[in-house]
Amino acid sequence: MKLKTLTIAMVIMACLLSACGSTSSTDSAGSTASGTDDGTASEQSGSGSESAEKKKLDFMWFSDGVEGEVTQSIIDEYEAANPNIEINLIEVPYNDYENQLKIAISGGEPPALARVTYVGLFKDASITFDDYVDAESFKAQFSDSLDPFYIYDGKIKGVPIDTTANGLIYNKTAFEKAGVEVPANPGDIWTIDEWIDAMKRVMESGDVRYGLVIDKTPHRFSTLLYGQGGRILSEDLQTTEINSEAGIRTVDIMKRLHDENICPASVWVGSENPNDMFRTGQVAMHLAGSWMMTNYRDNITDFEWGVTYLPVGVTRSSVPGGKYVIALDNTSVEQEAVDFIEYYISKEVNQKYCSESLFLSPRNDLADMEFSFGSESWQIFANELANSSPDAARDWGYAQTSALIKEPLLNGVAEVIQGKTSSKDMLDSLAEKVNAELAEINS
Amino acid sequence: MKKSKDWGIKIAPWVLLAPNLIIFAVFIVWPAIMGFTYSFYKWDGLGEKVFIGFNNYIKAFGSAEFWGAFGRTAAYALISVPLIMAAALLLANLLVKDIKLKGFFRASFYWPKMISFIIVGLSFRFLFGDSFGVINYILEVLGFKSVAWLTDSFFAQLVVILATVWSMAGYYMVMFISGLQSIPESYYEASQVDGATSAQRFFLITLPLLKPTTFLVLILSIIDVFKAYPLIKALTGGGPASSTKMIVQYIYEEGFTKSNLGYASALSMILLVVLAIFTGIQFKINRGGEI
Amino acid sequence: MGNAVKKTFLYCILALLTLTFLFPIIWVMLSAFKKSSELFSWPPSFFPRTPTLDNFIAAFNKGDFGRYFYNSAVVSVSSTILAIIINTMAGFAFAKYKFKFRDAIFIGFLATLMLPLEVIMIPIFQVIKRFSMYNSLLGIIIPPAATPTGVFLARQYFLSIPDELLEAARIDGASERRIFVQLILPNAKPLMSVLFIFSFMWRWNDYMWPLLVIRDMDKYTVQLALANFSGQFSVDWSSLLAMAVISMIPMLVVFLIFQKQFVKGMVVSGMKE
Repeated sequence: MKLKTLTIAMVIMACLLSACGSTSSTDSAGSTASGTDDGTASEQSGSGSESAEKKKLDFMWFSDGVEGEVTQSIIDEYEAANPNIEINLIEVPYNDYENQLKIAISGGEPPALARVTYVGLFKDASITFDDYVDAESFKAQFSDSLDPFYIYDGKIKGVPIDTTANGLIYNKTAFEKAGVEVPANPGDIWTIDEWIDAMKRVMESGDVRYGLVIDKTPHRFSTLLYGQGGRILSEDLQTTEINSEAGIRTVDIMKRLHDENICPASVWVGSENPNDMFRTGQVAMHLAGSWMMTNYRDNITDFEWGVTYLPVGVTRSSVPGGKYVIALDNTSVEQEAVDFIEYYISKEVNQKYCSESLFLSPRNDLADMEFSFGSESWQIFANELANSSPDAARDWGYAQTSALIKEPLLNGVAEVIQGKTSSKDMLDSLAEKVNAELAEINS
Repeated sequence: MKKSKDWGIKIAPWVLLAPNLIIFAVFIVWPAIMGFTYSFYKWDGLGEKVFIGFNNYIKAFGSAEFWGAFGRTAAYALISVPLIMAAALLLANLLVKDIKLKGFFRASFYWPKMISFIIVGLSFRFLFGDSFGVINYILEVLGFKSVAWLTDSFFAQLVVILATVWSMAGYYMVMFISGLQSIPESYYEASQVDGATSAQRFFLITLPLLKPTTFLVLILSIIDVFKAYPLIKALTGGGPASSTKMIVQYIYEEGFTKSNLGYASALSMILLVVLAIFTGIQFKINRGGEI
Repeated sequence: MGNAVKKTFLYCILALLTLTFLFPIIWVMLSAFKKSSELFSWPPSFFPRTPTLDNFIAAFNKGDFGRYFYNSAVVSVSSTILAIIINTMAGFAFAKYKFKFRDAIFIGFLATLMLPLEVIMIPIFQVIKRFSMYNSLLGIIIPPAATPTGVFLARQYFLSIPDELLEAARIDGASERRIFVQLILPNAKPLMSVLFIFSFMWRWNDYMWPLLVIRDMDKYTVQLALANFSGQFSVDWSSLLAMAVISMIPMLVVFLIFQKQFVKGMVVSGMKE
C-alpha cells in the first residue's frame, strides 16, 4: 500500500519539478533569448548568453521608496533603444543587501551592476572607471564634496546617482498653533538654545507630546557633532577624534534634550521608530533628512509639514549621503555596464530619476533642479549641503565608519541619557575601543 | 529464508538513513566544515584570507562582551524554556480531550509560530510600546503611571521572555499533542479499572510515556531559545543598552556588521561546542529520551 | 454533576486563553485594513476607523505576488513531501536499529541546528552552485528537506513503538523492508501529519535559503518579496501587514487539514501475511 503512495508522491514531485523547469525559463523581461534551463545548467548571471549576441546584465538593487520603479522605467527606455541589451533589475531586501552582494561576489556570481551605500566596501571588487572613461571630465560632472564617497586611491570606483542631506523636518500646523516662527532664511538660523526654546514653546501650546525626535543612528548624531566643530575620524583616518570637547558638547546636548523631555527616551534608549511618531503628529520636529520627503508626502494627511534650517552650533553643518552604482569586475559585460551607467547618470536621465524619486542630484549642472513637490524644502537641503563641513564627507566616505562606531555610540549615548555615565567617560572609552579596532584594520 | 530484495538487518538502517544523510552531508556538513576552517583566518568575505591561527578564539575567550551576551542568553533560556514547556504541555493536555472546535483552538495557539518575527515585533510594540502602546494607554486611563516597557532594562527583558513563550508555546504544544496521541488508550482504561485519579494518571502514566516527546521538546526549545535573534531584534533591537542582546546578535554584530567572518565563525563554533556538549550530557542522562 | 460543569469551565478557560493569545494577531489582521496614518495614532485604535482594502491592492501592485505565491506553494509542497519520506526513514533508523556511530551521527545532526546558518552562507553558496542549483527552485526544495528537527521528531515517535512488535514480525519471517513499509508506515500517520504541518510551515517561512539561492525575481518566494517592504529608512507597514495576512492563509489551511490526523492512540495492527 505504501509503495503506491510513494510512487504517487514521486509522480507529483516529478510534475512539480518540471514546473520548476518551465518557471525558470520565462524571465521577467519577456525576452526569448534566455537559453538557460536552471535545472541542469549553471547560470552565469551577467555573462553574455548565446543567442543573437544579446547581453544580459543583472542589476542588484534595493529600494526605500519608488526609486526602483523609476529605475525600471529608465531601464525600459534604454532597452528599447538598445535591443541587444537586457537589464534585469533585482530587488534585494536592504537589511541583507550588503551580505548578499558579498556572497555573490565571493561565490563567483557577481551582478553586472549594483546600487550601494558605501563604495569603499566593494572597491576591490568593482571596476575602475578610469579604464573606461576620461577620469577628469567624468569626475567634473559631480560635486567635489562627494569625492571621498567614490574615489579611492585616486581612482573612480563608483558613480554617484543620488544625494541626500540631513535636515530638520517640522510640523507646520503645530508651530502655527503655538505661534512660533521658524527661520525663514539662512540669516535667521537658530542657535542651539533658541532652537530648544522654540521647541519648548511648541510643546506648551502646539498640541504635541514631544518637541523633537532624532533618528537613532550615528549618521544623524554626527549632524550635531559637525555643528559643534567636531568630527569622527582624524584627517588621515587612522584614529578617532570623537572624544574631543566638541564631541562632549554634542553628547551633552543629547542629554539635555532628553532631560528636559523634548526628546522621548523611547527612541534613543529604546528602539521606537521616530518616523512613526512624527507622522502621527505627536512630535514637533524630526531630525532626519531629505529621503523622508516621499515617505511623508505619501503618508502624512492630518497636518502640514515642512523643512527648516538646522540650528547652528559653533558652525553650520549637515551631512551628505546618497547612493552610488558600481560595476563589478569579472562579469564579462563590464563595457556594457559602463555604457548603461553613462546613460543613467547623464543629465536628462539623472534629472528624471532624481525628480521622480525625490532625491537631490549629485550633478553640478542639476544643483538648482526643479522639483514637482516641496521646492522650498529642496532649496533648504541644497543650502545645508553647501554649508557643510568637509569632515562629514570624509568621515562617511570611509566605509568602516558606521560599523566601527554604531553600536558603542548608540549604547553609550543611551547610557549617558539614563545617567549611568558621563559624556566624557563614555566618549573616552568609546575612543579607546575604536582606536584599537582601527589599529587592527590598518595593520 | 532471505528474499533477494531484503535489506538485511545490518544494512537496513543505512538504507533508511542514506537519503537524509547524503543531502545533509553535502549541503550542511561540508559547508559547516568549511566554515570551521574560516575561524582560523582573518577575512572580510571579499578579500584575501589571512591565516591567524587561534587568535580569533583567544579574542573571543577574552571578550567580556562575548561572555556577557552568553550569560544573558543562558539566563534567558533558563527562564523561558521551562515556561515554554509547561505552557505547551498544559495546552496540549487541554486540547486532546474530546471537545468541540478542537481544531480551532489548536490553530489559535499554533498561530503565533506561523507569523514572521517582524510582524510579531510590531504587534508587541503595539501592545507594549512606550508612546503608542495599548497597555500603557489602558494603564493611564485607569489612573496608573505608564510603564517604560521597552525602555527599561528589567521590563524589556520581561517583555522579551513573554514574547518568546507566546510565539513558541503553540509549536511545542503540537509536538506534545502528537506525543500524547501515541500513548495507547488501553493503559488509561486499565488504570481506570484500578481506580486511579486523574492526577495519578497524569504523573504515573502520561508523563513517563511522554518522555520521548518531553526530551525532544527540551532539546529543541533550548536550541531555539539560544538562537533567538530575529524576534528580539524586531522587539527591542537588543536594547536598552544591550540588556536584551543575546549571543547570536553579538555574533552578527561582531562578525557580519564589522566584516569579520573569521571571528564570527570562531564565535559560532564556540557556541556550537557548548550546546553540543550540553545536548550530549542531556542524552546520557535521559538515555536519549527512550522510555 | 461533575461533567457538564467541568466541560463549561474548560471551555471558559480555553476561550480566555485563546483571546489573550490571539489578541496581538487579531490586531495585526485588523490593522491590515487600516489607513497607514492610523497605524500609530494616539490614542491607539483597535478597530479600523475607516476600513479600507487599499493596502491589499497597493501591495499586490508592488510585486508579482501571484507568481511569488505560486513559487512558495511549489517549493513548500515538494520539499514537504520529500522531507516526510526521508525524515521518516532516517528517524526510524535511529530509533529502532543499533549501528555503529549511531549516537554520534545523531548528535552531529543536532549540532548543526545550533549553527547560525549565516556563518556558513558562503560555503553553502558554493556547494549549491557546484550542484547547478543556483537560482533554481530545486536549491530551496532539496537541501532544507533533510532537516534535523524532522528526523528528531520521527525518532522520538518511533521510540514509542514496542520492540516486541518488531521482534514478533521478524520471527514471523518478515524482511526489514517489509516491516518498515507494511508495519511501521501505516502506524505513522500522526507523525506524518505533524511533519507535514511543520515542514510546510518551515518551507513557507524560509527566508535565508531563498535569499541565498535565488537570483531572478520571477523565482522569488513570498517571504523574500515581503522583506522588500522593509527599506533602509522606513518600513511599508501597510503593504507588509496586508501581504503577511494573506500569507498566513495557506499555513492555516494546511494546519487545519492535517491536525485532524492527530488520532487518539496508536492503532497497532497485526502483520497481514
